[in-house]
Amino acid sequence: MRTSFVNPRLSVVLLALVLAACGSSDPENPGSPPDSGTPVTDAGPEDAGVPDAGPVDAGVLDAGTPDAGPVTVIPNTLSGFGLFTGTPADGGLVPVEGNVPYTLSTALFSDYAVKSRTLYIPPGGVAHYQPKDALDLPVGTLITKTFAFPADLRKPDQDVRLIETRVLVRQPTGWQAWPYVWNAAQTEADQVAGGDSTTVAFIDLEGKSRSFEYSVPSKNQCLICHHLQDEAGVQVMHPIGVKARYLHHPNTYGGVERDQLEYLASLGKLDGLPPAAELPKAPDAFDPSASDLSTRARTYLDINCAHCHNPKGTAGITSRLFLNIDNADLFTLGECKRPGSAGSGVGGTFDIVPGNHAESILWYRMHTEESGKMMPQIGRVVHHAEGSKLIADWIDSLPPKTCK
Amino acid sequence: MPRLQWTRASSAALLALLGALSLTACSDDDDDKKPDAGSQPVDAGTTDAGTDAGTDAGPPVDTGIPWDGGSAGDFSCQGKATATLTFAPGQEQEIQNQVNTLAECTTIQLAAGTFTFKNAITIRQNGITIKGAGKGVKGEGTGTASSTVLVFTTAAANSNGLDVVGKRFEVSDLAVWNAKKDAVRVESSVDVVMRRVRTEWAEADKESNGKYGLYPVKSKYVVIDECEAYNAADAGIYVGQTEYAIVRNSVALQNVAGIEIENTKYAYVIGNTARDNTTGLVVFDLPGNPIKGTDIRVVNNIITDNNRNNFASVAASSSTVSQVPAGTGTFILASRRVELTGNTWENNNSLDVAVLSGLIIEQDPAQWVAGGLNFASADINIHDNVFKGGSGDNVDNGKLDAQRRPLGALVATLYTFGETQGTRQVEHLVWDGVDPFGHPRTDVNPINICFTKNTLPAGTTTAIVDLDLLAAGTAVTGGDLAGGWAKTRHYAATGTAFDCAGFSPALTIGDNIK
Repeated sequence: MRTSFVNPRLSVVLLALVLAACGSSDPENPGSPPDSGTPVTDAGPEDAGVPDAGPVDAGVLDAGTPDAGPVTVIPNTLSGFGLFTGTPADGGLVPVEGNVPYTLSTALFSDYAVKSRTLYIPPGGVAHYQPKDALDLPVGTLITKTFAFPADLRKPDQDVRLIETRVLVRQPTGWQAWPYVWNAAQTEADQVAGGDSTTVAFIDLEGKSRSFEYSVPSKNQCLICHHLQDEAGVQVMHPIGVKARYLHHPNTYGGVERDQLEYLASLGKLDGLPPAAELPKAPDAFDPSASDLSTRARTYLDINCAHCHNPKGTAGITSRLFLNIDNADLFTLGECKRPGSAGSGVGGTFDIVPGNHAESILWYRMHTEESGKMMPQIGRVVHHAEGSKLIADWIDSLPPKTCK
Repeated sequence: MPRLQWTRASSAALLALLGALSLTACSDDDDDKKPDAGSQPVDAGTTDAGTDAGTDAGPPVDTGIPWDGGSAGDFSCQGKATATLTFAPGQEQEIQNQVNTLAECTTIQLAAGTFTFKNAITIRQNGITIKGAGKGVKGEGTGTASSTVLVFTTAAANSNGLDVVGKRFEVSDLAVWNAKKDAVRVESSVDVVMRRVRTEWAEADKESNGKYGLYPVKSKYVVIDECEAYNAADAGIYVGQTEYAIVRNSVALQNVAGIEIENTKYAYVIGNTARDNTTGLVVFDLPGNPIKGTDIRVVNNIITDNNRNNFASVAASSSTVSQVPAGTGTFILASRRVELTGNTWENNNSLDVAVLSGLIIEQDPAQWVAGGLNFASADINIHDNVFKGGSGDNVDNGKLDAQRRPLGALVATLYTFGETQGTRQVEHLVWDGVDPFGHPRTDVNPINICFTKNTLPAGTTTAIVDLDLLAAGTAVTGGDLAGGWAKTRHYAATGTAFDCAGFSPALTIGDNIK
C-alpha cells in the first residue's frame, strides 16, 4: 500500500460533502466497541466465473470416502511404472500402447525446457469431459511430463538431455505428484522426493550460450502450483494442463492426424465429449494467425499464472488477482489494482496500468529474474522473452488509463 | 543525538509534493456488536490442553498455551505412532527426500553443524517437529558444536527456508541463514510453535534480502518464543491474518519492521526487544484482508533506537513498511482494542507511538470491505509505560522523501514550523486525528485513545498531539505552514480527554499464561 498524500486530487468540497452525508461517526459514544470480526465477505464480481465450480472436488481427499480402485504402488524408478520402452540413451523414450502422448496448445514456460507429456488411463477407466476444469480422470491415471534441454534450442531434436520426469498419480484418495530425476547416462530416472538441482547449459534461440542452475521441485513443492483450496481451505492437489481447451487440437497418432480429444474418445478413454463445434479452444499464444492479441495474452496468463491466480488458489485468494481465462472483471484482472503485498521495487504501483507495460507490476514480475520478485514462484530462473513481449504488447494495446 | 534543524528542510520542495486526502465514504462504526474478548469458544475437538511444550522429550505437543481456558487445535499426536529421524550435516538430500514423504507426528532431529540446502524445506504434513542443537548467536552463518544453522545462500531463486503447511508444527533450536524469501514461513496451519529460532541475513540494509524472518500467516494458535530476527527486508517477526498468537521474549534487530502484527485477532506480545529497526513494533490491518484485527496486547517490550534508514524504500514499492519513516517506534493503524503497557520507548527519531487511520494508506473504503470496513482505529489504551526521551527530534533521520515516505515528510514539515513556535520535538503519542472520519472537532478524543500513568522525561510539556491531518495537510499543501500548524493540537499527559480508563471489556488474552 502507499500513502495518499501525493494524490493531487483533493477537494475540500468533497470532504465537506462526505461529512454532511455520513454523520455516522457517533460522537456520543466514542468508546463504542468496534465489531471484532464478522468479516464482510464481498459477494462482488471477483467470484463470478469461478473456474472450478464443483465436480472436480467431488470424492477427492476431503470427502472421506475414497474413490474405488487400487492404490498405485510408487516405484523407485520411472521404468517401474512400465509406461515407456527404450531410454534416451538408446534412441528414445517410447510410450507404451495406452500411454497417450499429448501436447498443449499453449504451455507453461519452464526455463525453455522442452517438455513431452503422456496420459495413461488404466484399462476399464474412463475420463469424464469437463468444459472448463481439468478432465475428470479415474483412479489409476498416470500423467507424465518429461523436461529436457537440447544442446541448441534451435535444434530441439538433437543432443537432448533429459532432466526429470514428473508423474501425477491419481490414487483412490486423490492426486499425488512424484519427481524422477534422470541419471547422467540417461538410462534411468530415479525417484527423488526431495527434488534436485542441476546445472543446465544450452545455446538459446539467438545463438547465445546460456547456463543456469535448474531446480527440480520436491514432491511437496508440486502442491504449490497443483492445488485448489477446498471449502475447508485445505489445498487439494489437481492436474493443470489436461483441460479440454488446451487439448482440443491435432496431434499425430500412428501417422494419422487426429484431434487429441476425439482420439481419446475413440479409444474409449473419454466420455461426454460434445460435438466439435461446442468444444472450447485455447489458441497457440504465439501464433498471431490463431487469435487476436488479447485472447492470446489471456491464454498465456491462464496457463502460466492462473493455477495460483484464481479464486480457489491460495496466492489468488491472498492477492485478489485472478488471471483465469474466464475472469471478466477488469479490476481483479489487475487493471489499476494495487497489489496485496507485492513488496518493494516491483516496477510500479498497480498490477496493470492499461497502455503502459513498463509501470505494470504484472509485467515486471514476469520479466525480472530477481529472486523474491519474479513470477511464477517456482519453476523459473530465466525469463521468457517471448512471453514477456506478448504481455507487454497486450498491456500497451489496452486503452490508456490513469490509475489512482 | 543529532537534532534536526527543522528550518533546514526544504519546505517548498515538500509542499510541491504533498497532496491531500480525499476521503469518500463513511465508516460503519455504529454497529453495536460486542467484541470478542478473546474468550469465546474455539475449535471443538480433542486437545491435550495445557500440556507443557517446554519439555524437550516426547512426541510433538500443542502450543502448550491455555489460550482461553483450555482449548487449542483439532489435531493431536497423543496416542498415535511417532518417530524420530536424525540427520547430520552432509545428509541434506536425505533430509529433503524424507521431509517430502513424512508420516504424521514425526520429529526431525538435526545434529549440530551447518546444513546447506539448494531448495526450500517444504513440509506438508501434520504433527511435525524440527529440532536442532541450538540457534547460535547473531552473525553466525555456520553451525558450531552447540548450534544448527540451515544455510540457503545458494538455494533456488524465490525459495523460502522452511515452508510449512500442517497442524501442530514445531520448530526449535536452529538458525535459518540467508533464505531467498521468507526464512520460516508457516501458512494455513493450526498449533504452531517457533521456539529459540534465529532468522538472519548476512548483510544489513539490503533490499534484496528475504522479506520476512518468522512468518506465520493465516494460522491459528501461534507461539513465537525466545526467537531472534535480523536484517529482514520487511518484517523480522511477523504474525499475519492469524487468530491467537503470542510473541514472547524475542529479539528483532536491523529489520525494516522489527515486530509486525497484521490483520490478527487476539495477540499477546510480551517481553520482546525491538531495536535498531526502521520501525520497532507495529500493529496494523491492511485493506483487502478478511480478518479484522482486534484485541492486541503489547506488554513489557523494549522499543528503542529504531532509526535504521528504510532500506525497503526504493522506487516502485508497494509494501506498507517501505512507506514508514525511519525512527518510528510503534505505529498502530486501522486497529482496535489495543493495549500498550509496561513498555519502554526511547530515542526513536521520528516518534514513539502513532495511532493512525487506515485511510491514510488506502483512502478508498471499498478496498476495506473484506475486513468489514476496518480502516478506523479505535480503543487504544496506553498506560503505565516508560518514555525515556530522545525521540521525535529528527523525523525520518532528516532524509525526507515526500514521494516514498510522505507521512514522515508531512510531520517533518509541520514540526519545522512548530520549532519556530517553541515545540522542540514530536510528542510521545501522535494521533492523526482522522478517525472516525468527519468527527466534529469539538470532540477531543472521539476514538477513545487513553494515555495514563506513563512515565515521561523530566521537563515534558506536551505529550500528546492530534495532528488533524486532513486540515493540517490541506493547509500545508496550500503553502500555509502557520495555518497547518495551527490546526494541530497539543496536550499535556494528564488532565485532558485522553486521561481515560481504557475500554470495556478489557483484554483477556494472556491472562492464562504463566
